[in-house]
Amino acid sequence: MTPENVGTENASEAEAIRLDSVICQAKGRPILDVTSLVIRQGERVAIIGHNGAGKSTLLRMLSGFVIPTRGTVNVLGRRLNVGTTRSSPSALRSLRAEIGHVMQGLHLVHRLSALDNVLIGCLGRRRGWRTWARYYTPEDISEAESALNASGILSRAEMRVDRLSGGERQKVALARMLMQHPRLILADEPTAALDPQAATEICSLLANAANGLPIAGNKSAPATLVTVVHNPVLLPLLADRVIGLKHGKIAFDLPIVEVDDASLLLLYRMDQSLSAINWITSDHQEQQRFTPEIL
Amino acid sequence: MIHNLIPPRLSGRFGFLALTLTYAALVIACLGTLAASGDLSLGRHPVANIVKTLGEFSHPSFLDVWLGNEHLEYRSDDGTVLRTENRREVEANFLTQLAAATWTTIRIGTLGSLLGALLALPLAVLVARNLAAPRVLSILAKMVLDTTRSIHTLVFGLILVGIVGLGPTAGILAIALHSLGTYGKLYAEAIEALDMQAIEAVRAVGADPAQVFFNSVWPSVLPQFVSSHLYIWEYNIRDSTILGLIGAGGLGLLISEATALFQWGRLATILIVIVVLVSLFDAVSRRIRQALL
Repeated sequence: MTPENVGTENASEAEAIRLDSVICQAKGRPILDVTSLVIRQGERVAIIGHNGAGKSTLLRMLSGFVIPTRGTVNVLGRRLNVGTTRSSPSALRSLRAEIGHVMQGLHLVHRLSALDNVLIGCLGRRRGWRTWARYYTPEDISEAESALNASGILSRAEMRVDRLSGGERQKVALARMLMQHPRLILADEPTAALDPQAATEICSLLANAANGLPIAGNKSAPATLVTVVHNPVLLPLLADRVIGLKHGKIAFDLPIVEVDDASLLLLYRMDQSLSAINWITSDHQEQQRFTPEIL
Repeated sequence: MIHNLIPPRLSGRFGFLALTLTYAALVIACLGTLAASGDLSLGRHPVANIVKTLGEFSHPSFLDVWLGNEHLEYRSDDGTVLRTENRREVEANFLTQLAAATWTTIRIGTLGSLLGALLALPLAVLVARNLAAPRVLSILAKMVLDTTRSIHTLVFGLILVGIVGLGPTAGILAIALHSLGTYGKLYAEAIEALDMQAIEAVRAVGADPAQVFFNSVWPSVLPQFVSSHLYIWEYNIRDSTILGLIGAGGLGLLISEATALFQWGRLATILIVIVVLVSLFDAVSRRIRQALL
């Protein structure tokens, strides 16, 4: 193992995420450039920004699906791969088992039932041939049913996921995330394409999950919650702190009470030149040197 | 390669018109050359022949099992009884023979399809572009699939009868070799259409590669594989009915006998069995495919 390997326990335990001088590039274009970012354990953070601002890339980087070209990324006390460094895949798997990642496209196995999709959440801690045949213990099944119940979708447990509505699929994705007992929750636009009522419901579920919603009678410790969200109305439900991303850089990082219309306008007005946020320093020449790598 | 001659994108209406004119020219050339050589003929008495054939087919031989003459006498020119025949018994025996031949046809179609499907799997994995197999192996696998698909089952049958001898084994191998190409193409397409989000979902929870395969890849491609298998199996049952013509066993052998002896009634019975068999298989496989997809 090299010093830059996944699993190196060299970051402070109180910090869930630490990014230092991180740069990500895709097809020669810099998509993320974060000088410094620290998210402490148990914090609830929302990431906002225009399309293509690098929000999803940031989240995918935190779960090891996008490898930054340069910098230092620590997640849950483990240092992630950077550049061309590669570590043992098992270390990355054990990290992913602790991260509940609700992705933008929901990422469900459409031909499996809702229950089977939720049971996938326990694969990170269950190994061996039984899991190949999708054979789970009665305890796992009961826990998955509790997770579905907590998401309010137990009645659809046996239905195939591709026959569920968008809101129902979102709940299945959340139930799978609950099944993981994650220490860190990454939710990428969990309310996209949902009506306002369903969006509020999903946000409440996420917030409860982060607070350690009891599953099968076990109340887990509060998790760190990082959510990408577009609708400012939903921000108070999900976050105490808001990070604004613009063109891959952090435009602002404020407590939610300090986020006002002016800061949102700064973020979403595409005609705003970068000079308006030139307090962020970056080295563009350096960015060009790095290439993206997707696992 | 022919596909290199065709531009990837036909430019607007002109391109489509050119394509249509080329097609029309081909059709005219086919008709014109056949007419010029006098080969475009329906014979001298087409209507009379149709009526005669329909008449012969209108009495399928299986009806004789119940309606046939129990003491049919064959006499010489001077009226001497040469022999008597119980038509009911003779046709009942033929039906037994027919049942055995049908079973052989089903066995050839089923085993040939299964063998073809199994042989196609590794080749499809090599051909599927998203799995990025080594280029040389991928090209070789594609060549094997293209070659086997372009050679007809009957041609494979003729070659294999010479190698393994007369009988169902040649039929099974012929079916397997021809359908290998179609299986490989369909399987590769199923793999290429794989839902990558489903794979990422399972990887995102920390699953190992075997868990990813069995919990995501396999459930995603299996219905497509089974559907393709049923489709080609059905096609092969139809195909294997004619393999007997070249001595590879099954219903084709009886067809060959019936036509050689001008027993049109028996041919009608055989054709009825083929239609019923294929229709039944089609109905069952369609239901299963609908349930799977």
